[in-house]
Amino acid sequence: MKTPKNVETHVWRGGIPLESRYTAGLGGQIFFQALKERGELVGTRCAACKQVYVPARAFCERCFAELTEEVKVSPEGTLVSFTFSAYDRDANRLAEPVALALVKLDGATTTMLHRLLRVTSPEQVRIGARVKVVLKPKAKRTGSILDIEGFQLA
Amino acid sequence: MNGRVGIIGIGYTAAQPTTPYSSFKELMFEAAQRAYFDAGIDAAEVESFVTCAEDLNTGLSIFDEYTPDQLGAVQKPMHTLTQDGLHGIADAVMQIKSGLVEVVAVEAHSKASNILTPDWILDYAVDPIFNRPLGFNPHALAGLEMNLFLHETGITPQQVSQVAAKNRTNALRNPLAAYPARLTADDTAAGPYAHYPLRETEMAQTADGCVVVVLASDDKARAAASQPLWVRGIGFANDSPTLESRDWVHAEYTRIAAQMAYRMAGITNPAREIDFFEVDDTYAYKELQHLIALGLYPNRPGEAGRALEQGLTRPDGKTPVNVSGGCLGLGWTLEASGLYRIVELVLQLRGQAGPRQLPGAKMGLAQSWRGVPTTSGAVAILSSEQKPWE
Repeated sequence: MKTPKNVETHVWRGGIPLESRYTAGLGGQIFFQALKERGELVGTRCAACKQVYVPARAFCERCFAELTEEVKVSPEGTLVSFTFSAYDRDANRLAEPVALALVKLDGATTTMLHRLLRVTSPEQVRIGARVKVVLKPKAKRTGSILDIEGFQLA
Repeated sequence: MNGRVGIIGIGYTAAQPTTPYSSFKELMFEAAQRAYFDAGIDAAEVESFVTCAEDLNTGLSIFDEYTPDQLGAVQKPMHTLTQDGLHGIADAVMQIKSGLVEVVAVEAHSKASNILTPDWILDYAVDPIFNRPLGFNPHALAGLEMNLFLHETGITPQQVSQVAAKNRTNALRNPLAAYPARLTADDTAAGPYAHYPLRETEMAQTADGCVVVVLASDDKARAAASQPLWVRGIGFANDSPTLESRDWVHAEYTRIAAQMAYRMAGITNPAREIDFFEVDDTYAYKELQHLIALGLYPNRPGEAGRALEQGLTRPDGKTPVNVSGGCLGLGWTLEASGLYRIVELVLQLRGQAGPRQLPGAKMGLAQSWRGVPTTSGAVAILSSEQKPWE
């Protein structure tokens, strides 16, 4: 077909209301309950694989075992990586970039992703730094990952 | 039958920042027409069809329902994979090797210019309970990964900028490329940070385009109109889907996929046995991470950065990488990215790559990654020669 000349290019816009409900599951419930009520970070251990998964999970992704042994890990850990992200989810450039941290909590073998608080530029941060979890006050906790405000440099 | 599988035809549109005059079905029709013409077959001779698409990227649910007509697949066996096109090549190889069919068409396309909320779609792929509530732009995951990757390998930010400059410059010799530019590492290193330490200039920009690849059994391939290229190896793998327990340094999905493909192809020293590489570079550091995972620098990963600096991965180097321009130069065509890598392999191996032709290229490797937040990858090895013992 030939490309038409001097005609309007027709496009239509469309969308749907897309919303879902997500079930935390048994592993998630263990984690969120401990976080909300006791301000603790709880994972599950796979003795065979020497893994401690935080947040807690119901099964081991390595050996496929069902996990039942709960482990409380430290609210302190090591910064594995970080980024300063200059965009929001709608792809708009932010006035101030948001700092995110990947942290290995002491006692866990997995990492956790959350915000890195009270830093404004990469020069203030280095991989390997000690960090600690900052929790919301108990009255404001709802049983969500946002019960954690983020990490801050120790 | 002996189980050999050949690529007998390719059809494609140029990658373009936008395609306002053509619908996605027309892009597919054009690529399919060219592929069947290249193979010297009629659409009716294709026995099975594989399309590779992600519903949310197409703006449609159950995309399978939208593909038969424009490929000549009405009332024929067909299905859609929500994967990169290289997984579609693996699918076709399996269908042919099983003896189920002899001729398969694989399609993947991008109409990225019609996606009005691309970052929201990626966000919807992020774990909804533990990660998504943080409300970050999903490309930030690449920034996190790059920072750790540089820290662990000793590869420098300058070397990453050099990848972007190389691939954008390579694209100047590729008429299919949407983003060719003569750039130096100083130019790309001057780009602002998008997700520190990742710069805007080190992120591939989306492009529209479509590729159709026709594969056939040995008998059909040897009778084809165009020179067949042989699928010597194919592999695909995923790492852990969770951000918490995946390997953030090594592209394990690529290492495992490559081992699978190397085993099938009988390759023990990829750097020596394979003439050129087309690998995923949706973020510039990914080219180096993927080359390491492909086993090119088995002793010291940091070699990847030094090899780049020494020009070894330039078109005139010992192991050319992304002569096509990669995703950075050609454009990031979403699920079609892996098939544009295949197009480059086929053109090079046939000696039809024009001004960017690599002299004497006999075997090439294509590698794909599904992008953030995934750990999904595939590898294909094509050769103009059959295995000597076959």
